[in-house]
Amino acid sequence: MSKPSDLVQGTLDLLLLKILALEPLNGFAISQRLKQVSGDVLQVSDGSLYPALHKLEQEGWIRAEWRPSENNRRAKFYSLTRLGRKQLEKEAGNWQRLSAAITQVVKLKEA
Amino acid sequence: MQPQRWFYTMPMRLRSLFRRKRVDGELDEELRDHVEQKTALYLAKGMTPEAARRKALIDLGGIEQAKENCRDQRRVAWLQDFLGDIRYGARMLRKAPGFTAVAILTLALGIGANTAIFSLVDFLLLRPVAVKNPGQLILLMSDWKNGGMDWAFSYPDFQEIRKQAEGVFSSVSALRMYQMDGLSVGGNSQPLWAVYVSGNFFSQMGLQPALGRLILPSEGRIAGADPVLVLSYDYWKSRFNDDRKVVGKSALVNGQPVTIVGVAPWGFHGLDTMEDVQGYMPLGMAAALKDLPPDFLTTRKTERFTLVARLCHGVSLGGAQSALSVIGARMSREHPKSDGWTALRVHALGPTGLFMNPAHPNPLPLASALILLLAGAVLVLACLNVANLYLVRAGIRQREMAMRAALGATRGRLARQLLTESLALAAFGCAAGIVVGLGGSRILSSIPIHTPIPLLLDFGFDWRVFAYALGAAVLTAVLVGIVPALRVARGDLNDILHEGGRTSTPGGHRLRGALVAAQVAGSLMLLVVTALFVRSLENVQHTKLGFDPSHVYNFSLDPHEAGYSRAQSLEFFQTLLDRTRALPGVESAGMALAVPMGYIGVGGSLQIPGYQSPPGGRAPSTGYNAITSQYFKTMRIPLVAGRAFLRSDSQNSQRVAVINQTMANRFWHGRDPIGKTFSFSGDPKQPIEVVGIAKNSRDSDIFTQNDNFVYLPLFQHYHEPAVTLQVRTALPFPVAAREVSGLIHTLDPAMPVFVQSMTAALNGFNGFFLFRFAAGLAGALGLLGLLLAVVGVYGVVSYAASQRTHEIGIRLALGAQPRQVRKMILGQGLVIAAIGVVAGILAAAGIAGLVGSFLVGVSPADPFSYAASAFLLAAVVLAASYIPARRAMRVDPVEALRHE
Repeated sequence: MSKPSDLVQGTLDLLLLKILALEPLNGFAISQRLKQVSGDVLQVSDGSLYPALHKLEQEGWIRAEWRPSENNRRAKFYSLTRLGRKQLEKEAGNWQRLSAAITQVVKLKEA
Repeated sequence: MQPQRWFYTMPMRLRSLFRRKRVDGELDEELRDHVEQKTALYLAKGMTPEAARRKALIDLGGIEQAKENCRDQRRVAWLQDFLGDIRYGARMLRKAPGFTAVAILTLALGIGANTAIFSLVDFLLLRPVAVKNPGQLILLMSDWKNGGMDWAFSYPDFQEIRKQAEGVFSSVSALRMYQMDGLSVGGNSQPLWAVYVSGNFFSQMGLQPALGRLILPSEGRIAGADPVLVLSYDYWKSRFNDDRKVVGKSALVNGQPVTIVGVAPWGFHGLDTMEDVQGYMPLGMAAALKDLPPDFLTTRKTERFTLVARLCHGVSLGGAQSALSVIGARMSREHPKSDGWTALRVHALGPTGLFMNPAHPNPLPLASALILLLAGAVLVLACLNVANLYLVRAGIRQREMAMRAALGATRGRLARQLLTESLALAAFGCAAGIVVGLGGSRILSSIPIHTPIPLLLDFGFDWRVFAYALGAAVLTAVLVGIVPALRVARGDLNDILHEGGRTSTPGGHRLRGALVAAQVAGSLMLLVVTALFVRSLENVQHTKLGFDPSHVYNFSLDPHEAGYSRAQSLEFFQTLLDRTRALPGVESAGMALAVPMGYIGVGGSLQIPGYQSPPGGRAPSTGYNAITSQYFKTMRIPLVAGRAFLRSDSQNSQRVAVINQTMANRFWHGRDPIGKTFSFSGDPKQPIEVVGIAKNSRDSDIFTQNDNFVYLPLFQHYHEPAVTLQVRTALPFPVAAREVSGLIHTLDPAMPVFVQSMTAALNGFNGFFLFRFAAGLAGALGLLGLLLAVVGVYGVVSYAASQRTHEIGIRLALGAQPRQVRKMILGQGLVIAAIGVVAGILAAAGIAGLVGSFLVGVSPADPFSYAASAFLLAAVVLAASYIPARRAMRVDPVEALRHE
């Protein structure tokens, strides 16, 4: 089983859900978008991307369908389900609480 | 997981499972697409095509690896593995048809025996009577002044209890059970096993008619009123062939006109576990029965009714008991009687209804536990056998296992696969076992019980039996699979690979030897139990009965079923006796109310002038039989003093009796009882003079001996309507049966007759039946166990011998004598037998305590049973090892050495 060791556990799910909330994308496009939005700070290897997508699909948070891609070939496009949108809200909320708390702690140290 | 999530996830799971190829194909396509796009990206950055593709693949970590990681996310991997194991297991089983056939057959026998026996236990103990909420039903019982319990009440008792216990019981009904009537429709008269019920009975049971109507709450309150009859479903089916027009038809019950108004629902056979009630009539109709006085619905003297109550919702058995204790105390205070009941008791009817006399402890749970234990032992023997075969196969498959382990399968995974295979085997065994079990339970249901009463012995399979079979199969799978699985889990991969699968480890031999020793032990335990039961049956069959059953034939008839009055019946009896005695070949003919070992048993409390029962002791009581003059001659019961009955002992003369020796010695302080009088407390003003003393005999049932017993002249004491004509003749049974039945039917063509030889009657329920049944059942299980042990011993010894062919070849080549080889192989069997026999004797001694209460005249530690069983088993085990030993003896050294 693959683990995104370089990411906080569970954040990859959040990132993927957020990216797919903006627009349906295929796997390759998702990897490019990840790199693009986070610069080189968040390194997600292609090897961990696909199992993660698979897992989100199994959870029922995203849905895949085959559509023609830009190069006019069949590609698998992922989009968010209703359940996935709820999950995104939940995880985003969790993340905000967590990061706020950590920021507090860090500030405390500086003072 | 909330259901709305299933809406999203279930299709995924199902797709992963059943469209696996397609899903995998799509995954492949997706990943290849990704690699291509990534390659294109690197190409655009100026890499060479090879380097670009290589980089793209490295990023992904390899297509196959990525796929595997994705598949792991599917959550159905365990299920896929399981299905794969099943497929693989099925293939392995198909590849070894001999092993598979033997294993499945063995398991089928084990599971089948258990299922069949469980179907019997299910019927007797678990399957509920077909009424609404049977768990709420209770039977009312009473404590009697002279000790003992009873469950018969008077009609006024019924009305009073019903009124006073309103908050405790939602309903109380009164039943007159155990009544054989004659139902005559269109001139054709046949027996009808009937129950007379108070009008609320069917609504209390929550039943709806299959046809017409049931008995109404308003019916049954007035003696002789409401002449209606409700038939049971089965009786309607068998006698009236589902004729729907039967409703509204006129018929005669015991000569009284009734109207058939309906048919009870399918599956309802009354409240008795084993009896098959055929018809229901309102209680008031019992007025026509000869043994009830006309005022039976108003007098407290006639205590002949069974009371069944339904607990109010939320009332416990204990709560009902405390309420009834108060009610009972009040009632017995208000209606004091010389020998009435003094306290009321509640008795849960139990899921399967009434079984035999509820006043006695029910032997069924213990008997069922015992028999299930024995059957379970057979199943364990079967499992040991298959486990042994499996171990042999595991030896053969060691290389395969080692190979798979070397390729990365974990031990747990291999063990799981072996368990799955044994599960597949058990599943087949279970299916075949159910078929065997169905056959077995059919045999069990068809065992004849010699009785004129219609019995319900339907050991059909319901969900409980199937669940039991399934449970047995799972147990089997674990028992069979666990040993090889553990061995694989523990085994050292290196050792196995180095050994090259050529010879198996000595540890394997030891384990197999231990399994076979356990088999021998289990089989010996079964044999000992069988021997004990057979010895017990022998003892019972050689009991001194005190009468001679051979050449006596019984013709049971009931003139009241044909509508005879009391006077007509007595006249009919006299004519029948005279005409029977005149038949050629008839030595003597008598009549009796009750036949020894039969269903009818009557008795009463005694009042004997000059005899005081010890203070606190119960009043003396006795069983009795009403007979005619030649009874003693026919049954060959010798009189030790006085005389038998004469024709002059009639209704109008002095009441007389013949008593047995026990009674003669007990009550008259050593003086001669002849000429003395006694009376029954039910009829104290009627002194009965003792005119003779008969030798003791087993007059009522096989269990009772040396109890008081009284014989009364039938013509002075005709209350119970049914009698049995007993004929002693040298004629063979079929001839005598034809002659006498013919005679009865020339006297009255409509008279129902039940014919049976006295020797057959001895096998009745109160006679040898249970002993024969127990011995037969234990015998079948013992035989099965022995068979399994033989197969086990033979299998292991011959396998071990075949594994040692090489060694034997060397020994022979080095000059060993064939006899020494034989001794070596036989020795192995002998060791197994010795260990098994010792363990088996200990196991048998353990279980014998449980068996003890079912044995007559034989101790559970009976040395003969143990010795005979051990000897038989040892002989059989030696014989089973002798065959492989002989084969080993004939090994050709050249062949054996080349074999390597």
